[in-house]
Amino acid sequence: MYATVGDARIRVPARIQQGDIIPVHAIVQHPMDTGFFRSADGEPIPAYFIQDVTVVYAGQQVAHFRWTSGISRDPVVTFTLIADREGPLTIRWIDNKGAVFEQTAPIAFSTT
Amino acid sequence: MPRVPVEPRREFLKQGLAIGLAAAVGRSLRPGPLLAASLDPDPEVPNAQVAQILKDLFGDRPIRRGQVLLDMPVVAEDGRVVPVIIEAPGLPMTAENYVKAVHLIVDHNPDPHLAAFDVTPAVGKLSLQFRIKMKRTTWVRAIVETSTGEVWADYARVSVSLNGCG
Repeated sequence: MYATVGDARIRVPARIQQGDIIPVHAIVQHPMDTGFFRSADGEPIPAYFIQDVTVVYAGQQVAHFRWTSGISRDPVVTFTLIADREGPLTIRWIDNKGAVFEQTAPIAFSTT
Repeated sequence: MPRVPVEPRREFLKQGLAIGLAAAVGRSLRPGPLLAASLDPDPEVPNAQVAQILKDLFGDRPIRRGQVLLDMPVVAEDGRVVPVIIEAPGLPMTAENYVKAVHLIVDHNPDPHLAAFDVTPAVGKLSLQFRIKMKRTTWVRAIVETSTGEVWADYARVSVSLNGCG
């Protein structure tokens, strides 16, 4: 019932002026299984969750999140960023099986 | 996934404060911020597991209440998806003095130290929103550590109707 595990989106404002503190919304598709549940036929569902999130803006790491399976499935996170230069905003999610999911949004300033 | 509305807990507490103030006219009044803090009920004493987490994170440093705002619903009907907002509008975010980490601790969850967020001055201000799972009714602690070593916290008691942890 998932789209695809690891599908990710980043949303930033459409119009950004240099120096704005902008909200950044990020979502990644992931079951975030705790390991406490069983499937319908009684088999334990092993823990499977995002545990490491890195935010890199124009080459500089600006934030790093350490998560557990206590984060809700298809994790969303909203944070802020000082848009002081143009460049890519890359978020990298790593799960407990070592899979790496990455998404990038450009930070560019409005000309008007 | 539909967005879960956050009940305006902070506003509710403020209204409670206003009513309390009206009732307290004529009595000795403490300064506003202290009064506000005193009307928020204290969280329960940390259980052994939470106490150990706090000790590992902050050692013997005092965990003071203030500077941080933890906004969560008073009642979470679905423990699988409980919205969390953490902000610290009063704390500086400069190169010399900034919030360097935020910890979310849910006392009665199987893994109480639910998440940690390391941030830098590049985020401009501390403002985080995300969604968590909760097993049952419990206190939640949002604890902020600054680059100068100060530790600030806010607490919320959340009633959970449906166990979200299995």
